[in-house]
Amino acid sequence: MTAYTVSMEHIPGLLEKWAGELDVHVPEQDPDGFYNFIAWTPETEIAWDYDLAYNSLKRFFLPPKEDTLSFDMETMRAEPVVDAPKQLLFGVHPYDLRAINQLDQLLEMGEPDVNYLARRQNTVIFALEPSRVAPTSFWASMGYDRVDLGYDLYWTRISPSSFYVEVGSTAGEELLLAAGALPQATGMEREAAKRERLRVRARSIKQGGLKYPWQETPRLLDKSWESPIWRNNSKYCLSCGSCVTVCPTCYCFDVREEVDVDLKKGKRFREWDGCMLPSFALVAGDHNFREHAMERYRHRYFRKGKYIYDKIGELGCVGCGRCVRACTSRIANPKAVYNELWEATYDEA
Amino acid sequence: MKLDPKRSSYLPTPATLKRKEKLSEHVSLFVFEPDNGTLLGHKPGQFIMVSVYGVGEAPFSVSSAPVPDSKQFELAIRRTGTVTNAIHELEPGDRIGIRGPYGTFFPVQEFMGKDTLFIAGGLGYIPLRSLLHYQLRHRDEFGRIIVLVGTRNPRERIFTDQIMELGKRPDVEILETVDQPDQCWEGHCGVITTLLPKVDINPENTYVAMVGPPVMYRFVLSGCEDKCIPQDRIYVSLERRMKCGVGKCGHCQINGLNSCIEGPVFRYDRIAPLKEAL
Ligand SMILES: Cc1cc2nc3c(=O)[nH]c(=O)nc-3n(C[C@H](O)[C@H](O)[C@H](O)COP(=O)(O)OP(=O)(O)OC[C@H]3O[C@@H](n4cnc5c(N)ncnc54)[C@H](O)[C@@H]3O)c2cc1C
Ligand code: SF4
Ligand code: SF4
Ligand code: FES
Repeated sequence: MTAYTVSMEHIPGLLEKWAGELDVHVPEQDPDGFYNFIAWTPETEIAWDYDLAYNSLKRFFLPPKEDTLSFDMETMRAEPVVDAPKQLLFGVHPYDLRAINQLDQLLEMGEPDVNYLARRQNTVIFALEPSRVAPTSFWASMGYDRVDLGYDLYWTRISPSSFYVEVGSTAGEELLLAAGALPQATGMEREAAKRERLRVRARSIKQGGLKYPWQETPRLLDKSWESPIWRNNSKYCLSCGSCVTVCPTCYCFDVREEVDVDLKKGKRFREWDGCMLPSFALVAGDHNFREHAMERYRHRYFRKGKYIYDKIGELGCVGCGRCVRACTSRIANPKAVYNELWEATYDEA
Repeated sequence: MKLDPKRSSYLPTPATLKRKEKLSEHVSLFVFEPDNGTLLGHKPGQFIMVSVYGVGEAPFSVSSAPVPDSKQFELAIRRTGTVTNAIHELEPGDRIGIRGPYGTFFPVQEFMGKDTLFIAGGLGYIPLRSLLHYQLRHRDEFGRIIVLVGTRNPRERIFTDQIMELGKRPDVEILETVDQPDQCWEGHCGVITTLLPKVDINPENTYVAMVGPPVMYRFVLSGCEDKCIPQDRIYVSLERRMKCGVGKCGHCQINGLNSCIEGPVFRYDRIAPLKEAL
């Protein structure tokens, strides 16, 4: 496995080059203290030590609103719309990349989603080892502290002024060497990167997470359909959908249309939707398959902890903790819910 | 993977309305033909996504039987909202977009040589009609055909002429009921479960195909249990909200299943343990 050492002062030049070819997005801290990925400009100060990006990165592959068809109402004919800018995401944490890898699988499965996959194929991802852990995160205990695929480069900060950069693809390596040759990393630098990963992982573990092995979650849920927790917690649910909107692994959408003012042409588009919203499972005859907040609330935890697992063998929650922060009612925390279920199921027995 | 945007799963192909016919106050039959001259290629129980550009897209069961020498296919659609209203406004020669066929279907091969008990509640007759007509076209290959039809009131009955014709056939046993009769109704009254005791079936040799409104299933299934029909010989079709038809949008989930690809037709024993199915 090829790895290089890159010094901090080398990076602005590289960014300049990359930005000539791709839309480059990097983490930045906004004036309110929140971190977020934004389009890079030479003035941007990259937040290398960001703990969690406020919005998840799914929007780069599945925008909140995206055209899928254009149509002509006179001829009643349609054309697909597939818009996929060439983009580079620089600084993606492992748990967020795992969320992207998960979407890759789910959206390619069966009938491939061309819109998603085209964006994904045109995206270069430079992963970044986190150096801090957000107070709401619990990714290590969910098994999402590392990622072995899906990145073009993997950056680990091994000193205030240098990075250990592991190559994941030829495209990544070419971009890295775009401004000239770089020194290959030494064995010591590789060790330093590994130590850094273990340090951060230990931090995430120390902060507390699931109190049991994550693999047990589907079985735990099998025993928990009737748990009182669903009703107790959902009493406070506003059905606002914030928890699913911020989630990097939620990808449900609605499909709608817009017609031009001349009433001749129009666009079909899809828009983020969420199973926590009241009308998500409403059908003709006003029958709602998940009418009560309790049912929708429970569904979300089953989806994350069991249904996705049944499809791809890993949990649908990567432990980023975005939902924990987004929920004003403080009931959206998967770690807290799963732990409570675990205690109710096993400790009292 | 090589991507071809032209092959987007979301791109409908054009089809043209050939004929339409009123079936009841709110339900009409629509006969379409794909513009590209190909066969729809559906199996009984499958659905397609229909687009009226400028209005939207919605799922509908194909109501006709697959017929190798006819490119036309039939939908029977109840007016209930924007897309269904727009379809009702179409005139012969007008065009729609279609995607599919999608979803699972009734396993006709398995039904061969066996008796079939059809249980159709309301609009449930629409998808079952595809299987029924298939069996009638290959009448010799199937055993008894028993059809139970239940409708809320006489005004909402659909395919009444065809059902009357079926009633005259010696090789089809058909029983009909309405929940609320009017002055003219002379037939059986009561919900569809009240028809079950009237039919004498051989539980060893009978398959059940059942489609109806959500409230119907539980009662009818317990009726089937009383008749000792094993769960693995009962097929139900379940409708959920559907936006994409290809397992992506999430709307059609029944617990962990996507009913657009793992359904709409399910073998009952496979969904019996699911909390959200029935
Ligand atoms: C597999 C399947 C097969 C179906 N087959 C038939 C059929 O053969 N004949 C028939 O008349 N109807 C059928 N339906 C129901 C039909 O899809 C809905 O009546 C239709 O989507 C309503 O669209 P609308 O735009 O007219 O209504 P809207 O204006 O969108 O809303 C009216 C009502 O329909 C519900 N609805 C909206 N979109 C959907 C959707 N995508 N799926 C289900 N409900 C929805 C809404 O919640 C609302 O209650 C089927 C549905 C499914 C899932
Ligand atoms: S759990 Fe919280 S964030 Fe999610 S819908 Fe309910 S109130 Fe909103
Ligand atoms: S459920 Fe919450 S913690 Fe888990 S991945 Fe989604 S937003 Fe992150
Ligand atoms: S209809 Fe979209 S997932 Fe089934």
